[in-house]
Amino acid sequence: MDAFLNSLASGLIVGSLYAIMAMGLTILYGVSHVFNFAHGHVAVVAAYLVWFAAVRLGLALPVGVAAALLVMVVLALATYWGAIRGLLRRSEWGFGTLLFTLGLAILAEYALLELFGPRVKSVPAVLPGSVRLWFGRLALNDLFLITASVVLMVLVGAFLKRTLTGQAMRAVAQSLPGAQVVGIDIDRIYGATFIFAFVMTGLSGVLLGTKTYMTPHIGWEWMIKGFVIVAFGGLGSVPGAIVAAFLLGVVEALVTLYLGAIWIWPAWLVTFIVALWLRPQGILGGRST
Amino acid sequence: MLRIRDVTSSYGDIQILRGVSLDVGDGEIVALLGPNGHGKSTLLKAIAGVHPATGGSIELDGEEIRTEPPHRIVERGVAYIPEERFLFPEMTVFENLRLGAYTRRARERFDENLAFVYEIFPRLRERRDQACQSLSGGESRMVAIARGLMSGARLLLVDEPSIGLAPALKKDVYEAIRSINQQAGISVLLVEQEIEYALRLASRAYLLKKGAILFERPVSELDVAHVKEAYF
Repeated sequence: MDAFLNSLASGLIVGSLYAIMAMGLTILYGVSHVFNFAHGHVAVVAAYLVWFAAVRLGLALPVGVAAALLVMVVLALATYWGAIRGLLRRSEWGFGTLLFTLGLAILAEYALLELFGPRVKSVPAVLPGSVRLWFGRLALNDLFLITASVVLMVLVGAFLKRTLTGQAMRAVAQSLPGAQVVGIDIDRIYGATFIFAFVMTGLSGVLLGTKTYMTPHIGWEWMIKGFVIVAFGGLGSVPGAIVAAFLLGVVEALVTLYLGAIWIWPAWLVTFIVALWLRPQGILGGRST
Repeated sequence: MLRIRDVTSSYGDIQILRGVSLDVGDGEIVALLGPNGHGKSTLLKAIAGVHPATGGSIELDGEEIRTEPPHRIVERGVAYIPEERFLFPEMTVFENLRLGAYTRRARERFDENLAFVYEIFPRLRERRDQACQSLSGGESRMVAIARGLMSGARLLLVDEPSIGLAPALKKDVYEAIRSINQQAGISVLLVEQEIEYALRLASRAYLLKKGAILFERPVSELDVAHVKEAYF
């Protein structure tokens, strides 16, 4: 029973981090219909930057994180203005953006490989030590992670509901012509959404980096998990992504406990297939696009 | 206020507007009539910047706006109310209205504009917390017009506001447009299939056929039968 609860806790914690990453991905898709295949790699880049700042340069963790997020903003703007914006104007925009983000992912992966080498790294834990609970020990870092995730989710919810930019993003997602008609500058909102998505993803990467070992190649794994979560929860649905992320995080943990780590990927993919078979639009998906 | 000269526009290779000229004065309601598919909606979209006008001139208070993006045109005080409405389905009536006041100018006058909107459309105050996807056809039409008003527009481009509505609702929509024009002095360029209603509201009417203006007359010189004849 203890092992089960331990596993459940671990699954929920990892799930909450997947949720942060998935939120960025699903909002980006919902607003701009761009599916960012480099999403996992953006997360890894942020994590590596923080590792570099903390471990190599010896800077305090908050400084490293701030610097990494700044890089995320620059990366988002460069990606949107430098490439995506132009690609979206063409008739084959879906294909164009897909290929571009895929290329960006490969670029990021090999850049990290060149700069930092292939050996595993992890971001130093934010809070060292652990606390004893009735079913085992809980790392304080884990407690920090889930608290940070929940706080972030609440902040994102508030941003989307209460700020003008957040409302405009939702408006563009729900009706692009409607957004044009009320005077929203669609170009600026796309840019803002890219920044939002990259920052969210970057944060999730940094947090995940404190819990798992990373190599430059882990971007693909995170991207695929992000994709499964987003599709499972319904493309464009933030609550759906959150629910799906927690669910799949727990599934992953329990599968590891009872079947072994080798079954993680099959479990993800089978859950995905079954869910889409039963409800093609995702758990909380409703609209067609 | 609005001065359009020789505007052309196409969809791909098909030319829809072949040199359209018309005027809307301050405080006027002008009707744009004509058979379906001959360019009435396209003209409104071109003025709103939502569809490109390839040539000609569109002047608002003397300034050229033909090549301006849609958000700039809203800032200048022109609100386009499309036939499809394009409401934000998962947001409430109030949230849609609030987004109607997206521009800074509109936000500054938010309270006054909202009070005016609720006066013209009392039903919307009752429904303020209802999600737009659950509204009836008439109600969503009202929200679309109200949302346009929230931008503080001086000119409304209204595309077939009463289409598909029951007669009693058509009348409500028309009364609303009349009040908007009379109480706030807002000009309206109205595209309409219901010739009778259009002639009752407007002071002048244009007939658009095959992408060009066939005639322009004061409404006092027109009757429904004549207009219908001109359609064919």
